[in-house]
Amino acid sequence: MANPWPTAQAEVISESPLAIKNPKTWSHYHTYGGWGKFFQGLQQKKLLATRCTNAACGEKSLWLPPRCECVDCWHPTEWIEAPQSGEIVTWSLVKYPGELFRLPADTTLISVELEGVCTKLMSWLKDGKAEIGMKVKAVFNTDAPTNTILDLAWVPA
Amino acid sequence: MIRFGPGNLRIPKFERPVYVVAGGMTDFRKKYPEKNTCELVTEATRMAFEENDLKVSAEELRREVNWCVYSQFADHFGDQLLAASKVHDYLGFDPLGNIEVKTGGATGGSSVLAAAQAVASGYASCVPVVGWERMDEVPTKVGNSYIASAACKDFESELGWMYAAYYALMAQRYQYENEVPRETLAKIAIKNHGYARFSPYSQNPGEYTVEDVLNNDIVSDPLSVLECCVMSVGAATLVLADEETAYRLSDNPMKLSAICGGTHTLRTADRRNMPILLLPNETEETYKEYFNGRRHEWPGFSSFLASRMAAYLAYNMAGIHDPVEDFDILETHDAFTISDIQTYEDIGLRPYGRGREFIESGEAYHGAKLPTNMSGGLIGSMHAVGATGIFQIIELLWQLQGKWDKYHADPEIWTKYGKKKPDDFKSLQVDGCKKGCAISHAGTGSHVTCAVLEKP
Ligand SMILES: [Zn+2]
Repeated sequence: MANPWPTAQAEVISESPLAIKNPKTWSHYHTYGGWGKFFQGLQQKKLLATRCTNAACGEKSLWLPPRCECVDCWHPTEWIEAPQSGEIVTWSLVKYPGELFRLPADTTLISVELEGVCTKLMSWLKDGKAEIGMKVKAVFNTDAPTNTILDLAWVPA
Repeated sequence: MIRFGPGNLRIPKFERPVYVVAGGMTDFRKKYPEKNTCELVTEATRMAFEENDLKVSAEELRREVNWCVYSQFADHFGDQLLAASKVHDYLGFDPLGNIEVKTGGATGGSSVLAAAQAVASGYASCVPVVGWERMDEVPTKVGNSYIASAACKDFESELGWMYAAYYALMAQRYQYENEVPRETLAKIAIKNHGYARFSPYSQNPGEYTVEDVLNNDIVSDPLSVLECCVMSVGAATLVLADEETAYRLSDNPMKLSAICGGTHTLRTADRRNMPILLLPNETEETYKEYFNGRRHEWPGFSSFLASRMAAYLAYNMAGIHDPVEDFDILETHDAFTISDIQTYEDIGLRPYGRGREFIESGEAYHGAKLPTNMSGGLIGSMHAVGATGIFQIIELLWQLQGKWDKYHADPEIWTKYGKKKPDDFKSLQVDGCKKGCAISHAGTGSHVTCAVLEKP
């Protein structure tokens, strides 16, 4: 018995030159592994950073985004709460966000400097107009969490 | 802080000299549905093999090939894993060995580096480097999402899904520290769109005024549309060989005296403060006054350590002391106007904080000290990502060979791509051009290569 032809037809975008549409819709699992603790920390309104536990290592700063291993010696790190207020190092408005952005256009991106942290965490400003040097404090999306970096934002302090 | 050990800053060397023999490319377009990827790479490769005044036929050159390097940035865009295998087969190079290289926007530069390593080590004697990108199969918004998946998916991409925004963060900080007039930034866009007018391959040529650029739609504050690179479709092929093979194939191959790579963290946020790595034309004295006022850190958001590292290695490898004096021509990875100024500093055209002077002094123009991006660059000509770093070195090759006119001025080439050669066409051949440099750049400075090509 012969197999039937496919039932779903591909939409033709152009006859000449021939181009068709291939629909693709599926979910991709995002595996956080050891970094999951950071995202779960946001739900407890904690900003969890990491620090190297190797006494012989020179790197004593907090890291945010966190790292489970120290970049300089590969020893395990420990989780330590970072300060929840800091200063805007730089900012930009996203005028034309890409397809997957869950916030509206014109959202303000910021990079934040926090005391004792050697990195400048990228995040977004939930309220107010950004300026370099502006003091900000962390706010957390706990009502309907996305479990992404968007669950952390900042407002003028 | 990044601390260098004794081995970390070893200057690379080639075990034997590496030459660039030939180059070819397609024209670059926003959409290119008439040709599939295999056809595009064949067109570029055929041009490299057949139209470079070689002493052997294309068929004879095919028989010289013993290794291939393929260059494509995003499998997402191509929607084809193992695309190199398909292209390699289509070009008829089976069963010779090949590798496909991936380092984001610097994929082209890194591919040339990989091919040079193969030739320099003796592993291979004749290596085509074939690069392409096809960015026209998804809407622009999805394309931006694809590109932003080359940011950190855990801590960055969700913040906008838009790479220009990540560059804009650096731009804001650079401007806070250095206060470059908007007019100076606009001049870079005007220059590169303008030079693109004289290239039949270019996708985004145009004659603009400072007002046009400044009043343009903002993509991500402060960058306007005319200050950003384009998304392209197209291909480029370069042929590398050892000295003996090179002179058997060509009367005027150019010597690739250095090509070196540097890197830095994918996330701009993770760049720790460190001492400035000095180039041969700088001393501690150069930066005695640098850290004051609004400048506290290096590389911070204002500088690219990856570019500095690549230039440090390549300059020392090729014996470059002062890039503005020693180079006759330069191709930068002008993805955005502001990142171009950052690059001028990273590669030592001016000390940190003074990059704007390179444009303001007029040195970057045709007929001046160091003509930069005569190709039209990424802003004016193309950014078919996997082809870009290769395209830059092809343009250098033709300039050094004194053959720029052959590949740009012939009205038939314009007609072939359905274009009309402009009535006010001007030759951008750089007279007496002996030594050139090309910078290939990825991410917000995650990978950078610096190539030095010169007359032997
Ligand atoms: Zn450590």
